[in-house]
Parts: sequence; C-alpha cells; structure tokens
Amino acid sequence: MTVKATSAPAAHQKGPGLLAGLTNPRVYCALIALALLLIIPMVSGSPFVVHVFVTICVFAALSTAWNIVGGYAGQLSLGHMVFYGIGGYTTALLITHFGLTPWLGMLVGAALAAIVGLAIGYPCFRLRGPFFSLATIAFLEVVRLLSIHFHEVTGGSAGLIVPLKLGWAWMIFRDKMNYLYIAFGLLLLCIAVSYLIRNSRLGFYLTAVRERDPAALAAGVNNTAVKLQAIAISAALTALVGAFHAMYMTFLEPATMFSLATSIEIAMFSLIGGLGTVAGPLLGTVLVVPLAELARGWLGASANGLHGFVYGTVLVIITLTLPGGLVGTFGKRVGRWIDALPGGGRVAPVREAPALTAITGMPGEPILIAKNLTKTFGGLVATDNISLTLKRGEILGIIGPNGAGKTTFFNQLSGFLHPNSGTVSVIGPDGVGVTPTSADGFARRGIGRTFQIVQPFGKLTVLENIMIGAFLRHPKVEDARAAALRVAKVVGLDDVKDVEAGTLPIGGLKRLEVARTLATEPNILLLDEVMAGQSQADTQRMVELIRTIRDHGVTVVAIEHNMQAIMSLSDRIAVIDSGKLIAEGPPQEVVRDRRVIEAYLGEDYADAQGL
Amino acid sequence: MDVFIQLLINGILLGSMYAIISVGLTLIFGIVRVVNFAHGEFLMVGMYGAYLLAAKFGLHPYVSAIPIVLLLFAFGALVQRFIIQPLLSAEEHIQIFATVGLSTALMNLALMIFGADLYSVPPSVVQHSINIGGFTLVIGQIVMFVCALALVAGLHLFMQSTPLGRAIRATAQNRNAALLMGVRVDRIYVIAFGLGAACVGLASALVMPLYPVTPTIGTYFVLTAFVVVVLGGMRSMYGAFFGAMIIGIVDSLSGYYIAPDLKEVVYFVIFILILIFKPTGLFGLGRGTE
Repeated sequence: MTVKATSAPAAHQKGPGLLAGLTNPRVYCALIALALLLIIPMVSGSPFVVHVFVTICVFAALSTAWNIVGGYAGQLSLGHMVFYGIGGYTTALLITHFGLTPWLGMLVGAALAAIVGLAIGYPCFRLRGPFFSLATIAFLEVVRLLSIHFHEVTGGSAGLIVPLKLGWAWMIFRDKMNYLYIAFGLLLLCIAVSYLIRNSRLGFYLTAVRERDPAALAAGVNNTAVKLQAIAISAALTALVGAFHAMYMTFLEPATMFSLATSIEIAMFSLIGGLGTVAGPLLGTVLVVPLAELARGWLGASANGLHGFVYGTVLVIITLTLPGGLVGTFGKRVGRWIDALPGGGRVAPVREAPALTAITGMPGEPILIAKNLTKTFGGLVATDNISLTLKRGEILGIIGPNGAGKTTFFNQLSGFLHPNSGTVSVIGPDGVGVTPTSADGFARRGIGRTFQIVQPFGKLTVLENIMIGAFLRHPKVEDARAAALRVAKVVGLDDVKDVEAGTLPIGGLKRLEVARTLATEPNILLLDEVMAGQSQADTQRMVELIRTIRDHGVTVVAIEHNMQAIMSLSDRIAVIDSGKLIAEGPPQEVVRDRRVIEAYLGEDYADAQGL
Repeated sequence: MDVFIQLLINGILLGSMYAIISVGLTLIFGIVRVVNFAHGEFLMVGMYGAYLLAAKFGLHPYVSAIPIVLLLFAFGALVQRFIIQPLLSAEEHIQIFATVGLSTALMNLALMIFGADLYSVPPSVVQHSINIGGFTLVIGQIVMFVCALALVAGLHLFMQSTPLGRAIRATAQNRNAALLMGVRVDRIYVIAFGLGAACVGLASALVMPLYPVTPTIGTYFVLTAFVVVVLGGMRSMYGAFFGAMIIGIVDSLSGYYIAPDLKEVVYFVIFILILIFKPTGLFGLGRGTE
C-alpha cells in the first residue's frame, strides 16, 4: 500500500510534459492566439484575407528571426534582407538549374545565409551601435548591386521567374491556403526557436553581453561566440522565410529581395511589439501590417507611400512614448491577467542545487604565478615588474594608496588587460601552468573577479544576474537557477532575489558582484574593494563570508582599503605603491615596514616613528 | 593620361558635393553624438523646396539657397528639440530607430505628395561646361567646389573664434564639463543640429540644378555621405572634407576603369574595410566608431 501511495504522485509529477502544459493559461492563450492566424482566413475564404495573413505570417517570422540578433543580442542589423535574398535566390536558382525541390533548396539557402551571417558578424560585432547598423546596410547594398551586376546568374534588375511547377514538391499552389499553411509553419518554427533561445543559457548570455560586456566576460562568456551563434541562427531562419516568400511571389528582383526599406520594417515590427521579447515581433506585425494593408485597400493607389509614412511615424512615436514596445510596457500586467485564468499562477518547484565543482589539490601549493608584470598606459607605468605567487587556500590582501596600480594588477591577473611584458600562468590540476588568451578564458580556468565599479546586468533580476555566473558550470537553466539560489542565500541576497538588479543600493550591488562571481565556482576569487560602501554590520558579514569561501578551498585575493578588515582577514599582505610591489608578508610584519608607512603616511611620519 | 586627369577633376568636383553633405552629418554626429539616419531625407526636403521655389516663383536654386538654408536650419532645430532631445539619454538603439523612422516617414511623405516622378528645375547656365586647358568642367560643380571650401573655412573660423563656436567645441568634447561651465548644452545641441541640417540645405540648393529630385534621392546620397564620414574619422570636419574628395575620386575612377554599376560596390567595400580595420578613419583625425 505504502509503495503505491508514494509512487502515484511521482507518476503524476512526471506528467507535466505536454498535456499538463496545455492547462497552463500562458500556453493555451498563446496557442489560441496563434491558431487565429489560421482560423480567420479559413473562415473568411477571401483570397485577399488569405494573402494578408500570409504576409502577416511571413513578416512576423522574419521579425522574430531578426529579434534573435537585433533584440536578444542587441545588434541592430538594418540589412537583414541580405539573408532573405540569399534564401530566395539560392532556392530559385537551384530549381532552375538543377531541378532541386525548394524544400531542399531552402535548406541550402539557410546554410549559406548562416555562413554569410558569420562572415558579416565576425568583423562587425566589435562596432558600436549605429556603426554596426551602417555596416549591415553596406553589406546589403553591396550584395544588391552585385546581384544586379551579375545578371547572367540572377536575371539582374529584370528579375527572375520561379519555374511554375504545381504541387507540394514544388511549393507552387493554386489554392492559396496551402501557402498559408507553410507560412504559418515557418512562423511557428521561428517562434519556437526564439522561445527556446530565450529560455536557455544562450538567451541569458545574449542578454548579459548586450547589457554589460565586461561583466559577461568575467562570468566566462565568450562575447563574440554567443553573438555569432545568434546571427547564424537568425540568418538561417530569415533565409528559410525568404525562400518561401520567393516561391509565394514566384518572382525575384534585387530591389525587393535585398530591400533596405523592408529590412527596416522587419526591425520596426520588433521594436513596436517589444525588442528582445518572444511575443513582441509577432504582436508588432499583427498590429501594423493589417493597418497598412487596409489603409492601402481603402485609399487605393492614390495613397502611394501612405503605408511607409504610417510606419515611419509610428516608429518615431513608439521611440518617444513606448521605448520598451508593447510587451515591454504592458507585458507584465497582461501576464498577470493571464495567470489569473484557470490553471494559472503555477510556481515551478524549487530544485535541489547541483553539486559544487570540487576543488582538489594541496593547500599551500602554487596556484597562480604572476611573473614580472609590466603594464604602461602612455608614459604612466601602472604596474612595474610585479611578481607574485598565489598559494592554494590562502587569503591574500592587496593594499596600497589610490592610483598605486592595484586594479591594473587585478586586470592582468584576470585577463582583462594584457601585460606589456611578463606572464600570468594559471596552474591546472596537472600542475602545468597555462596562460588563457582571453578574459572569458581566465574565468573558465577558475579565476573569478569582481569589479570595483559594480557591473550589474541592470534589467535582470538579482537571481538572473547570479545565474549568468552559474551557467559557467551548470549549462541547464534549472540547474543554474538552483545553484544561483544557493549562492544568493550564502551571500544574503535571497530576500531580494526577484528585484531588478539596477534598483539595489550600493551595498547590495557589491554583494551581487561577489555572488555573480562566486556562482562561477572559481578556484581563485579576486575581490576588488567589495567592502567599500558597506555598513559596519555588512562589512562584518563580508569578512565572515570571505572566510567561509576560503574554508571551502577557494583561494582569495582581495584589494581593500578597510585596513582593520583586511588585516584581520588576510594570511598574507602585498603592498603596491606607484606600480611596484614594495612589501609582502604576514600582516603584522607589513604594517611595521618602513616603506609601507612611507607610502601611506609620508617620509616625515616614518622618520618621526624612528623606523 | 588626359582621361585620368579629367577623371580626377570630375572626382574632386563630385567630392565637393559629398563634402557639403558630409560636413553637416559630421557636425551632428560630432556634437550631438547621434547618427542621423534621416540626413538624406533632409537633402530631399531641401531639394523639393528648391524645386517648388523655382516652379512657383521662378527663383533660381542659387537664389533660393538662402531661404532653403534657413528653412533647413529651423527644420533641423525642431527635429533636435522634439525628437532627439527627449531621447538623448535613451538607449542607443532607440535613437537609431527614431532617426530611421523619421527617414522612412519623410521619404514616404514626399512619395505621397509628389509621387515617384522626377522633378527638375528649368535648365540654366549652371549646367553648361567650360573648357580649361583641354579639360571639361561643369560650372555648377565648380560652384559647389568653391562653396565646399568656403563652408569648411567659414565653419573653421566660426568654431575657433566665436564664443558660440567655443561653446560648441566644449560641448562636443565633454558634455558634462561644458554643463558645469555654464554652457546651455541643450541649446547648443539644437544649434548644432540646425547647423548640420543647414549644410544639407546649402547642398540641396547647389545640387538641384544638376540632379532631378525623387523621394528616394536622399538614400542615394546619404549612404555615400556615411562612407565619407567614416572614412574621415567620424568627428572631424576636415576629415570629412578630404574623405569626400577621396570618395569622389574613387567614384569617378572606378566608374570608368571597373564598371559604372559597380562604383558603389567599390566604395561600400572601402567603407566596410575602414570600419573594420581603421575605425578612427583614414587620417586618424576622429575618435572612431568603437
């Protein structure tokens, strides 16, 4: 009996796959809304309505695909039609010359577009906002002009007609409804991919990179790699839709396939609906496309340019009044209404945190070796030939006057700055020293750092901030969430875990820095003035926390101005002044060192003390 | 050799048109730090203005340059005051969308009013060419060259030796410090945006006798102007001037030696290469794009 009683709920627990998911109002509302895109044109039966809905599905799919790179990654591509055109032309040319079915042709087009996406993204992702947009426009223009120039291949400005072979195999139909099925399928595909990314490590990483480059690096995120993934996926999806749309229109010309105006429209729908949200692009498209189509229907050809004028005006008004878009502005409220429907408001069960990454090795053995680090900025020698060996399990305090070069030293230890000369080697479990080539590489090697000037991901919640760190060791979202929760409790942030990080006071932000870094489960923790701005009680807590961390085997290096705290905490103190390491040893010895007193209080004071 | 020199001359003359447009774009970017994607549509507005003044009142575009410049100054100032200013502290992508939206709206407004037809002003002596030492020069282009030089020299004097110019330079270098020194930064931005637009106004009056106006003419010119500005190093007026000359020459040479329909490909490729490899511009005069 008892066995049965315990196994029954367990079996029920397994169920929340598909069927149980359907009773969640967020799921069934979304499905009903999507189904309307099929049901309305089916019921109406008018070819014009079907055409409008095909257009809606196509643009919503394009906008959703664009949003992966434009919204999630924050890279405002205004030349996305280059991928659409590549998809369309590849498919059409493969049918014409090789008799290849468009179903395969569109896959070839998608692969090609992904490669072009990588080729555009790799050099251009380093450009700041508007210049990235300009570069994408330039790529679009180049491809458009080339496709006109090589008219033997593309048909040039005169255009290219898709071979009209009827049937599913050739994606050409008499009954327009068939086109709607395909367009709807593509829209579902784009939304599904967008949803999966949003709720995966990649989605979190993209947000992190968009919000704060350096903090993402410190959390071990390879900034370029995640953006490249985003553009490749986005380009491939865009090409699939482009291929279908070319088949639907049966005619391709460079002016429409590589249109700048359409590229802007795609981006615009996302902004209106809500940049970086799953539902935003669809919502924006559904609202604006029928408006423009209907206006065109009522006013006829005399209204040439009207829909563009409406689009442009709406875009300006949205930027001035609703910069978050519809979902960004009203999403939370509507979400609450939906959760109030039957079956709503479920909270995911709290998972047990996954095991910590085990720290192995003998206490006292060298773990990080900095040799002759020299870094200059113009004429200023920020660190001058500093050598220091870090021993496993110690707490090393770094002190020195303002501007001494402590943070520059830290930046070299964590890979954020490359020394002009000298090396940093991280000793691995095999005892061999390696020098990672990038800051994120250092983080993956187990070196976690905080920033003196706090770097929160302001729009994410506290817990999500910590998750960005936790993803380094726990790629699954649920694991990362559980691990982040554990860290939040340890650091004392669990009572504010659902607060937007940007709203925390400075003490909280300092602790969030520690929490995010701790979540990467580092071997070595570099803390840059984490006690500054903390209350007396919080400082005491921080001291306790650092001790606890060390007791778990983590080696700690702390830059600190709070002398009392750092002296009581540290096993060893290193003093940096004017870029030089002037003293090193146990706290009691260092405080009596003449050079240290000179550096802090001046020569006269040192003389007066008779040192 | 003669062909080559003729092409060089053509290039420099063409470049002076780009110079006037690009100097305006650089002013706006350098001071307000906003990339004005609607800059080309400002040109289009100015050109339709010049066309209307010619059609209704029979004014030669060179005469209507004065009202057009004033009109564009006011237009630019209004755009800054009511669209850009509220967004100055907004995220960058919002600013991009705002000027892109303005560009789309203006272009389509022109399409609604004027249709897609080409409009040009009645022919005048400006389109004639003269012969100097065996080389042909279009009078209108010579005028543009002189105006481009005068514009850069005038702006240089204005920036260096007037109190307002100094305030503008201070604001461009450090907005907050200028604010602390009592500079009314918001007003400087309005003036700067107006000045940038006024440059385009001048360009539109000078271009009008040589090119017909269409709703999409702005896109054609502004993309080139962006190439010029990036080549010139983003914030340097002088960089923009020389960048414009280079693009003019590239345009003229590649149109002849490569293929007329590929000349834009050539300078867009240059543009992409500069953005990627030398973001401070060809002469390192600006502060770059990163």
